[in-house]
Amino acid sequence: MKPITRREFVKIAGTSLTAVAAQQLLSACGIKPTATELPTETKQPQATESLTEASATEAATEESAQNSTSTPAQTAYLAAVRGEKIEEMVRQGLKALGGMERFMKPGADVIIKPNICVAYNTYEYASTTNPWVVGALVKLCIESGAKRVRVMDFPFGGTPDQAYRNSGIQEQVEAAGGSMEIMSGLKYVKKAIDGAVSLKQVEVYQDVLTTDLLINVPIAKNHSMARLTLGLKNLMGTILDREAIHPSFEKNLSDLATLVKPQLTVIDGIRTLMANGPTGGSLDDVKLQNTLIFSPDIVAADSYATRLFGKTADYLPYLGAAEKRGLGKADLSGLKIEEINV
Amino acid sequence: MSRTIRRFRRKPNGWVLARKITQAAALLVFLGGLILSRNSTSQELLIKDLVRVSPLAMLAELLSSKTFLAGSTLGLAVLLSSFFVGRAWCGWLCPLGTLLDVFHFSRGMKGKPLPEGLRKIKYGLLVLILTAALLGNLTFLFFDPVTIFIRSMTLAVLPALDKVVYFLETALVKVPFLTDPVLAFDAWLRPQVFPVESAVYQYAVLFGGLLLILLLLNFVAERFWCRYLCPLGALLGLGARLSLFQRRVNDHCTQCGLCASDCPTGTIDAEKEFGSDPAECTMCMRCLESCHQKAVTFTGKWQIAPRQEYDPGRRLFLGTAGLAVVMTVLFGVDWKGRQPRPRLLRPPGVEKNNAFLSTCVRCGLCMQVCPTQALQADLAESGLEGPGTPVLVPRIGYCSFSCNACGQTCPVGAIPPLSLKEKRLSKIGRAVIDHDRCLAWGQHENCLVCEEMCPLPQKAITLEKSGFSRTDLPGEELLLPVVNSDRCIGCGICENKCPVSGEAAIRVESIWS
Repeated sequence: MKPITRREFVKIAGTSLTAVAAQQLLSACGIKPTATELPTETKQPQATESLTEASATEAATEESAQNSTSTPAQTAYLAAVRGEKIEEMVRQGLKALGGMERFMKPGADVIIKPNICVAYNTYEYASTTNPWVVGALVKLCIESGAKRVRVMDFPFGGTPDQAYRNSGIQEQVEAAGGSMEIMSGLKYVKKAIDGAVSLKQVEVYQDVLTTDLLINVPIAKNHSMARLTLGLKNLMGTILDREAIHPSFEKNLSDLATLVKPQLTVIDGIRTLMANGPTGGSLDDVKLQNTLIFSPDIVAADSYATRLFGKTADYLPYLGAAEKRGLGKADLSGLKIEEINV
Repeated sequence: MSRTIRRFRRKPNGWVLARKITQAAALLVFLGGLILSRNSTSQELLIKDLVRVSPLAMLAELLSSKTFLAGSTLGLAVLLSSFFVGRAWCGWLCPLGTLLDVFHFSRGMKGKPLPEGLRKIKYGLLVLILTAALLGNLTFLFFDPVTIFIRSMTLAVLPALDKVVYFLETALVKVPFLTDPVLAFDAWLRPQVFPVESAVYQYAVLFGGLLLILLLLNFVAERFWCRYLCPLGALLGLGARLSLFQRRVNDHCTQCGLCASDCPTGTIDAEKEFGSDPAECTMCMRCLESCHQKAVTFTGKWQIAPRQEYDPGRRLFLGTAGLAVVMTVLFGVDWKGRQPRPRLLRPPGVEKNNAFLSTCVRCGLCMQVCPTQALQADLAESGLEGPGTPVLVPRIGYCSFSCNACGQTCPVGAIPPLSLKEKRLSKIGRAVIDHDRCLAWGQHENCLVCEEMCPLPQKAITLEKSGFSRTDLPGEELLLPVVNSDRCIGCGICENKCPVSGEAAIRVESIWS
């Protein structure tokens, strides 16, 4: 038998290695991109951090109630603003909560998470967050010295770029000096949720966990499963595999809220979709309510927003579940609520 | 000619340079057009024309649908060009030809030349395609080079490239100092070049495999496809026989044989004083580089090319035409083909399956522009006549309520160019719930994803009170999804998003009568 030459050996070895590599690669084909582990960024310490964290995570506890009373006396726990001039409404609402300075300091990196669930409709149909509300928030952040303001959501119907355009949000955000980010498959990380009841592990967009300030800007809408989709439900836009969350929906939603913690929730009740949500598409189902709700407590904001639909917190089983988990207050009695007309 | 003669270097020639630049530009236009077409803002680009330049596809379409499309003029122009510059399309513009030039390994590997008679195959294929087309069957357009190129790029090459890039990105993003550049690169790349969620296509291996085979055949003979198989080359070859510009050899020729060994289609024949057949010559001008004696010229003079032994004759014509008739009849009597197919869904607006099969040129552009990969290339779902035609597979992708790109892009109107408003009302099929698999109906769980997803302003899936309580939250009443068939347009987002694993518990079925 002829001895194998070096050249042949290298050739064969090279070919088989390539084949193995190709096979690895091919076996990865056919699957949509999934989350990958990213090096976890260490968050820059922020002077405002203690304050914002306190307000977001411990808002429900008695201590934080004291905490918020220890901030200037006029600071509201929740502000509801009614009017027609959206930018002014946003300014007044934030002022009531202590101003944007309460939530961020100059140089902060901000993410705003509106609800841009589908690419089907313009804002009139109230299936996506009002573009001017998002635009005004971007503007305020930049006025307060934000280094960067990114706006993002991952729609379930249509492509993100299409949804960003059709909703009108892209135009307002860019005009205000912010940028739309298409949520990249590379930035999802697998996270275990400590103390989770049902959703033990989730693939979540890393930046919403590490950003200095996360502002949750849902639109108040009718929704079959959740009954209403508000602040808590809007967090689902930050994770992958959302269909799997639907069974045991209430528990999963609370579990997610222990991981993704927006420091500020602004509920868009300018135009509300009263039926056939969350997708909408008929102006007959849209009710003009000209209301914005502001609170660092996501549960309290949701609870208040049920009033837009003539309901109370009891209407949404997941609010009670979230309150029990210490995520915020569903019972609004005794809280300092400021109602403002602009 | 043996390799030992290869002592002279080829001298650079301006025509060859011009040809190469043209080829690169044309390939870039094809690839760039395909990539940009997915971006919904640039749909108005000339993407339809990428298919309309193929005279074979347009001629077959004309014969089959018996209507002349204004867009066919482009294909006609290419066809007429053969009377002036022969098969210059093949050598200068054809994207598949350019790919074959790029992936050409056979230089210096020449074994025994293949029998010249093989060149007949392409004429056979041409007659087969055109005769079948006349009988309303476009199945064999599968072998049009332009459609092969678009199909394999869309279904296999671009997704594979996407996958490789994504694979590299996921590896590199973990390197600390590369994280930011990689993320910035990714943000630029998607959705401009690749879709945000990587595209997936059924049978990608088979459709990509055809291209791979054609590339590998280059090992056997350079431009094997163009010499022996390409029906479009055959069509242009017919005109090229009378072409104005032809390769001609003058008496400076010293019979050195360099041109013959360089010719990519092997048409330069030592036994005919190094003359060539204009029906085989792709006007690539490489022989201008080979010849050191200025013996080769491409001059303008109307002249009928001498007959070749492999030229198509009456026998070949009658034989393949007969075969086409037999095949078409067989397709027609195929029991499998006549069965109702509940899972066969066509792009929005297509109303008759048979009419669709007789107009669709199998180019695959609709699959390229479909942002959700709802449109997939069929293999046999629509019968053996259907390979390469678009079918809608909701479990892979749903028809987006905000998109009408397929109809706007179809170069032959096989998918009607509906406005978005019209498309939203056009029925693709209707959803049917499998009560045993459904989480709500079968297991009394709280799952209403299908209703949530339904994009219609007045939902086509409504919720009915069951009178039972939910298994996961006792005390809460269970709601059950019910489809309203009249409203349902069969977009398939319910089937796509149904959380039941494997086959969905709600499926879109066809409404073909």
